[in-house]
Amino acid sequence: MRFGDGMTALREQQVSDVIRESEDGADRLRQELIAEINREILRLQRFSTRGVLAMALFLVISLLAWWGFPFLPAPETATALLGKPPSARIISIALLVYTFSALILSLARMSAGVEHRSSFSHVGFLASFFLFYYFGRSLQENYWAVFGAGITILGVESYRIWSFCSEVISKKQEDRVYVTRTGRPPLE
Amino acid sequence: MFATLAGKALVPVGLAVTGFMVVCCLILYSVIRDDLHRSEVVHATNLADTILKSTRYAMHKSDRETLATIIRNVGEQKGVDHVRIFNKKGSVTFSANPGEINRQVDKNAEGCIVCHKGPVPVNNLGTMQQARTFKNPEGLDVIAITAPIYNDPDCSSAACHVHSQSQKVLGTLDIGLSRAEHDRSLSMLRLQMIVFSAMSLLLTIGGVTALLRRNVFLPLQRLRNYVESSSQKNKLPEPPPRLPHDLDIIAARYYQAKMDAAVQKQYSEKMDAL
Repeated sequence: MRFGDGMTALREQQVSDVIRESEDGADRLRQELIAEINREILRLQRFSTRGVLAMALFLVISLLAWWGFPFLPAPETATALLGKPPSARIISIALLVYTFSALILSLARMSAGVEHRSSFSHVGFLASFFLFYYFGRSLQENYWAVFGAGITILGVESYRIWSFCSEVISKKQEDRVYVTRTGRPPLE
Repeated sequence: MFATLAGKALVPVGLAVTGFMVVCCLILYSVIRDDLHRSEVVHATNLADTILKSTRYAMHKSDRETLATIIRNVGEQKGVDHVRIFNKKGSVTFSANPGEINRQVDKNAEGCIVCHKGPVPVNNLGTMQQARTFKNPEGLDVIAITAPIYNDPDCSSAACHVHSQSQKVLGTLDIGLSRAEHDRSLSMLRLQMIVFSAMSLLLTIGGVTALLRRNVFLPLQRLRNYVESSSQKNKLPEPPPRLPHDLDIIAARYYQAKMDAAVQKQYSEKMDAL
């Protein structure tokens, strides 16, 4: 075997090594991208149940309110400690303003396509309305108003979160197909 | 349903409008019910005051017959469930129902406990605290007012039957009024609110649906039919007329792109033939 032939064979070996390495690198990049997209899809699938979980928590709190919060001290005890509670009318006005603002915010976020994790904070606000009515001794008269407000706000929020997640998940699935086919990151 | 354009456009709006209207109606109903209850209490308190003032002279004169007649006549009035006067010891001395006279009342009973829950009875109560609501033995809703009969200076100094000056309350007047009219008004109000809400909702959601269908969904359907039919036929049809401006631009661009592609194709075929 001549010296020149040996050099050519070495060069071919080096080139094929480089090609194999770059193919391995591209394959690794593809796998990483796909894994990242899969993680994101999984996160979004978990996130899409957030509204329903918040609704379930609200229903549990509503049930406790229906039973008159048996584990809480009597309203008289709390009012003796904290002072006179606001009147039922003031609480109702606050509930109305809150419901209106929450719905407008939710619809605005829906139209802007913003990912916002607000459902559980709404459960907190609604629970505090139940508590205010309870300590103001007017829960029985206003129970259905808070319940209706909760179902409406959390229903719209659940729909907003679910529709946002559905859209992003279908986009991610398209991205996964693109990455599998080309091995390159998605265009954006 | 949720995946379609109509579903995406109508579900959140329908849910938000319906829910908000229901919440508004519930709060409004609660406020009106509260107002009606207050005015009912004020009416019952005024009636109790009127009875006390009407019987005052008879009490001064210790005219038991006139007093009993007044109480009986008031008790016969339509909408009055019961009228009775208790003495200091808690026994009924006058009543529209003769069977109740001389009957002792339990101080722990509803309406009495408000003043008698402590070792010393409360002498002054607010108007709302004097009222109580309950169901009578016939199962009808009743609102009752317990008005104290105070020992005024002319009572303690009267020649006929002097009460000691230290005695603050001489007895109580208990008057109960039927809530049938109040309940009827509330059920009418409830019915009117349900009908009004249902009509408003139908109008709002129906209006939004009709406008969206007329201005968005039908033109979109025509555009979709045009795109689908143009891909099946050999000859490219003209874009559908009278589309909204935005959709018209899309249809025109699509038509132009298809025309350019057809010209390009014809040119390539000619070149291949040469």
